[in-house]
Amino acid sequence: MTAYLVRRLLWLPVLLILISLVTFALGVYGPGDPVTVMMGLRANPKIIEQVRKEYGFDRPFLVQYFNYVTNAVQGNFGYSLVKYQGQPVGALIAKRLPVTIQLNFVSILWSLPLGIALGVLAALKRGTWIDFIIRGFVILGISLPIIGLMPVLNFAVARKHEIGPLTIGPFLPVGGWEGMFAPHIIMPAFLLGLGILAIFTRQTRAAMIEVMTSDYIRTAHAKGLKEWMVIVKHALRNAMIPLITLIGFVLAGLFAGSFIVEQFFSIPGAGALAYESLLSKDYYVILAFTLMAATIYVIINLLIDITYAFVDPRIRYK
Amino acid sequence: MGNILLDVRNLRTEFATQDGVVHAVNGVTFHLEEGETLGLVGESGSGKSVSMLTVMRLIPMPPGRIASGEVLFQGQDLLKLGDEEMRQIRGNKIAMVFQDPMTSLNPVLTIGTQITEALELHLGMNKDKARKRAAELLKMVNIPEAERRLDDYPHQFSGGMRQRVMIAMGLSCSPQLLIADEPTTALDVTIQAQITDIVKRLKNELGMSIIWITHDLGVIAGLADRINVMYSGYIVETAPVKELFANPLHPYTVGLLGSIPRLDEGRREKLTPIEGLPPDLVNLPTGCPFYDRCKFRTEKCLQENPPLMSVGVKHWSACWHYEAVREQRDAILGRKFMQPAAA
Repeated sequence: MTAYLVRRLLWLPVLLILISLVTFALGVYGPGDPVTVMMGLRANPKIIEQVRKEYGFDRPFLVQYFNYVTNAVQGNFGYSLVKYQGQPVGALIAKRLPVTIQLNFVSILWSLPLGIALGVLAALKRGTWIDFIIRGFVILGISLPIIGLMPVLNFAVARKHEIGPLTIGPFLPVGGWEGMFAPHIIMPAFLLGLGILAIFTRQTRAAMIEVMTSDYIRTAHAKGLKEWMVIVKHALRNAMIPLITLIGFVLAGLFAGSFIVEQFFSIPGAGALAYESLLSKDYYVILAFTLMAATIYVIINLLIDITYAFVDPRIRYK
Repeated sequence: MGNILLDVRNLRTEFATQDGVVHAVNGVTFHLEEGETLGLVGESGSGKSVSMLTVMRLIPMPPGRIASGEVLFQGQDLLKLGDEEMRQIRGNKIAMVFQDPMTSLNPVLTIGTQITEALELHLGMNKDKARKRAAELLKMVNIPEAERRLDDYPHQFSGGMRQRVMIAMGLSCSPQLLIADEPTTALDVTIQAQITDIVKRLKNELGMSIIWITHDLGVIAGLADRINVMYSGYIVETAPVKELFANPLHPYTVGLLGSIPRLDEGRREKLTPIEGLPPDLVNLPTGCPFYDRCKFRTEKCLQENPPLMSVGVKHWSACWHYEAVREQRDAILGRKFMQPAAA
């Protein structure tokens, strides 16, 4: 197991080099030019040339790449060229990241356990009206785009409504950020969690239905075990195995989901920063985000593989 | 022997499917004495497993339905018990061992956990005591290094060992009745012999009754006291084991005997399969279910399904023409006939 982990971790730098090379090449050879972005279109061509030299953008590709990597290894990921001009990218992201992590944490915290619980319930009540309603919600949760749902929900909760003689609302703040314990988090965390809830309900239901018809569940019943023991001890552990993969994908995908939600709710998180820098072609920020996303992805994959070994005794790594 | 342990009367089990109602068990009546081993023989779909799952009340409902019948276990009708009362009998007084040991054990729990949970539940043992007992049980079914192996997972055992673990699990609470559902089918022949030997030995040691389901008459011959032959949800013949082999009085039993190879009577030219297929369980014929495949069939068989008729000592056959079967079967089987006196 340890040897396996070391081997997997040794792959991490190799992967990062490959990913950074591709990203860097896209930045250099792709459309748009960091200096033009920084100076504006009407800048004096002479000054542009001078800045280009200063920043080293005139050097050969491999030299530029080598310089970037050398700096990155030392913790210097370059500077923002546009909105936060002059600020180091590392510090920019480090300041924003805790907000995104808190938001994503709360989103998972409510949606994942609830999704698993609803999935188990739907599987056990398969074919009944309970199953029917849960499946209806799943289809809604998967097919409604966040971007369409956001304005509708905002309209419902963020305004005063006059219904006949009654004046109710506003119920919730729909913007800004006051930390993870303030009501400001409810709407964005709800929207971010909705998809997770739907996906986990569906997958848990499918996994439980399959597991509940397996021979070892019949054996458990034949032993005279109580129903909840059969479900929790015998069925759910087996049903969790395929779900672990999904948890990994969801964790990695959350980051992308928070791009839109953070932007929409004016949450000063890393997602909003990534979104801004993508639109303004803030070169080094994009590069750093890409590398960070890749690293997260690789590490989460590793964590999934380790978790497998704990949940499923048949899996042993050599 | 003597006291009746299990008395099943007119048991009917059905399944609702998209194609209609499948009549899996159609009015099965039999009994089992204390200390007796009963063989339940028949081909796939003959209702052997379903009838026993019905006794255990392990039929998934829906789609399953117990349409009628009584299952008297020690005088108590199991079909009338509440779920909780039935749960206390399962694994405790009646245990079941299943066909496929590769899939019947939970892959993510240790063998120890899987054996001890029934002990803790039914006998109220604490963890230590249950663990000791589990190790004893594993020794009883000849698993070496029993204590250490309690912490192993099913995939670390071979197929034969897993089936022995299943048997140890079944025996854990010293049941009065062990139902073994084709426990040797998935195993190779030498392992089959090991398993049957273990069960025979433990039966004598523990004095329980056994119902052994199989489609293999060869396995059951050395094991059972009595055999029920099932066909499309009916018991078509029942007799003490030697009597059944020596004196089969139902065309289906004759067909089964004709299709097993024997070492003790010289080489026959070839085994004789039973031609045709069993009837569709959704549209059962009104007459005899074996009609289509039967060499003895007449108009009467088409009109009326024969009930079990007494044809000898403890010997019943559901065939209108059992006398004709008696006369012609030796020619059909092509054997120098084993004398019934041997029984």
